[in-house]
Amino acid sequence: MAETATPVIMPEVGQEEKTGSKSGLDSAWLVVCWNDPVNLMVYVTHVFQAVFGWNRQKAEFHMKQVHNQGKSVLARTTMEKAEHYVHQLQKYTLHATMEREQ
Amino acid sequence: MKLIRTTKEQFAFSLGKREKQLLFQILQMYPLVPPSHHQLSKTGERSSHHEDQRLLEDAVAEQRRENRKQVLAMLEEPGRFRETKDDIRFSLTPAEIEWLLQVLNDVRVGGWLALGEPEELEPPEINATNAPYLLAMEAAGYFESQLLAALGHHEPTQLDES
Repeated sequence: MAETATPVIMPEVGQEEKTGSKSGLDSAWLVVCWNDPVNLMVYVTHVFQAVFGWNRQKAEFHMKQVHNQGKSVLARTTMEKAEHYVHQLQKYTLHATMEREQ
Repeated sequence: MKLIRTTKEQFAFSLGKREKQLLFQILQMYPLVPPSHHQLSKTGERSSHHEDQRLLEDAVAEQRRENRKQVLAMLEEPGRFRETKDDIRFSLTPAEIEWLLQVLNDVRVGGWLALGEPEELEPPEINATNAPYLLAMEAAGYFESQLLAALGHHEPTQLDES
């Protein structure tokens, strides 16, 4: 991303599906956002708030993770919801993908 | 470009005349990111990955056609940009700001891709071919920042980083 900042908080990854069953865990998909240096930090924070409905603190945490670590897992959810989130993030031209949880 | 008034439904902005020219110029470049840029997965783990990817590209292309229509309609809408003695005034709803941010960031990312994806935005050697993309990337970033500031977002300052 285009600017830098200091992370201060450590909220958890958004976890929508908490089935606890093995089959539920096996089918989990991760929504991942990857760093593109062109995206403004405030823009990424705003998009996370708009797409996931997060408060600013949580959105900034994930934005800084993307910036500092190259990626952030934004949600662990079903395939259908992961597709939805990836499409929403890509509408804002963020580099987002869905990956099967290992 | 600066925010001059906010109500629940509208954000009113003031634009310089040259800023308006620049805004129109970069909005007319939309869309700049090729649909194939977006990938559903890095690993392609799903058995139907190629079909899903094609569907994604179709959806992105359709959405951009709609956005392009909206961009042209906004630029041509009578009374949307009102010229005063000193500046140009225009208003956006919160939904229009969201949409405009998406459009502007497409131009910004598309410009960056066309420049060869420079790391940390180090500009490449500028020539007549790539200069419009550098301008588009920088100008789109400027307008994005102004819209985000209107929504209460600000880029971190040096003090924030210390």
